[in-house]
Amino acid sequence: MATETVVNDPIHQFRLHNLFDLFSVGGHQISFTNSAFFMGLIVLFITVFLLMAASKAAMVPGRLQSIGEMWYSMIHNMVNNVLGEEGKVFFPLVFSLFSFVLIANMLGMFPYFFTVTSHVIVTASLALFVVGLVVVVGIYKHGLGWFRLFVPHGVPIVILPIISVIEIISFLSRPISLGLRLFGNILAGHIVLKVFAGFVVSMIAAGGIIAVSSVLSLGMAVALTALEFLVAFLQAFVFAILTCVYLNDALHPSH
Amino acid sequence: MARSGDKNQPEPQDSKLGDISSRLDELSSRLDAEKKIHQKAESPSTNYGKAQDYSEGYRLVSEFVAGILVGAAVGYGLDRLFNTLPLFMIIFLMVGFGAGILNMARAANRVPPAGARLDIPPPADDDEDEGDK
Repeated sequence: MATETVVNDPIHQFRLHNLFDLFSVGGHQISFTNSAFFMGLIVLFITVFLLMAASKAAMVPGRLQSIGEMWYSMIHNMVNNVLGEEGKVFFPLVFSLFSFVLIANMLGMFPYFFTVTSHVIVTASLALFVVGLVVVVGIYKHGLGWFRLFVPHGVPIVILPIISVIEIISFLSRPISLGLRLFGNILAGHIVLKVFAGFVVSMIAAGGIIAVSSVLSLGMAVALTALEFLVAFLQAFVFAILTCVYLNDALHPSH
Repeated sequence: MARSGDKNQPEPQDSKLGDISSRLDELSSRLDAEKKIHQKAESPSTNYGKAQDYSEGYRLVSEFVAGILVGAAVGYGLDRLFNTLPLFMIIFLMVGFGAGILNMARAANRVPPAGARLDIPPPADDDEDEGDK
């Protein structure tokens, strides 16, 4: 029984452990964890993959180069569509964010791999960075007039304070929704996958008719794996496109 | 297309003005239709079909929940500050609910984004008078 609960523990996969200790800052031990290891792996993977894809630069792209070009042009088109000419400055940022989240999610789909984006601290940091950037760019472009974002035009003065508060909360909720969505999707997906896979093991162990019906659970796990690959891509994509949409608020307000 | 051109060929010999304008109308309507098709193909920056709908649904839900969460957090923070525990939390939960609805409406493109306000010139004094009266 004890071993079975360890096998089926759906939270176990998200546990952090220190690989080695680095140094301590103000009494806090700073360690190199498995999360940090996988972040490094992600960056290494992206760098090596894109360098390899771009190394040949053939007129007729091969398979690897095609993927690289698709990857690049998809984000390029997205930035162009949403942000326009002015937004080209942000292309490297959006591309890096998308690539990091995408590869983090995809690597997480390998069994025994750690999923970086299943920790809220990672996704929240990314989201806070994006929204912080929106504030900085907005103030840089429009000065203090940017704060008119929170003051609707032509609203009776009586309800203006309430509307302003609602607008401010609406703005503050952006990093939360951006970070929580990515984190929630990945976490929930991995837990559900693990639970269904765990069912297969325990149903077979139960034996008899229950063991036969474990096929259903296995089918569910297979279907969920496909869904999780879709979610892994989609969430990266949504993260990137919302980054563009939010930056658009700060860049050209004419939309 | 070639066939219709052939049919029309003899008639312009009579050089009826009505015929030319009707052809012009037809041409422009065809052009409009083509333009619409092009716009449809270009305007969605993401045409991944079902996947897009799926992500859209997730987006709406998370925007709504985020509004409420932030409202609750702000209210709780103010309560901790002034030691009036349930008061601000109740108020800001409701305000957060409003913000969540606003977020959702914006995500569904039913309400113009807040940024649209920046091109309107700063409100003049006469505008505020209108609001008062």
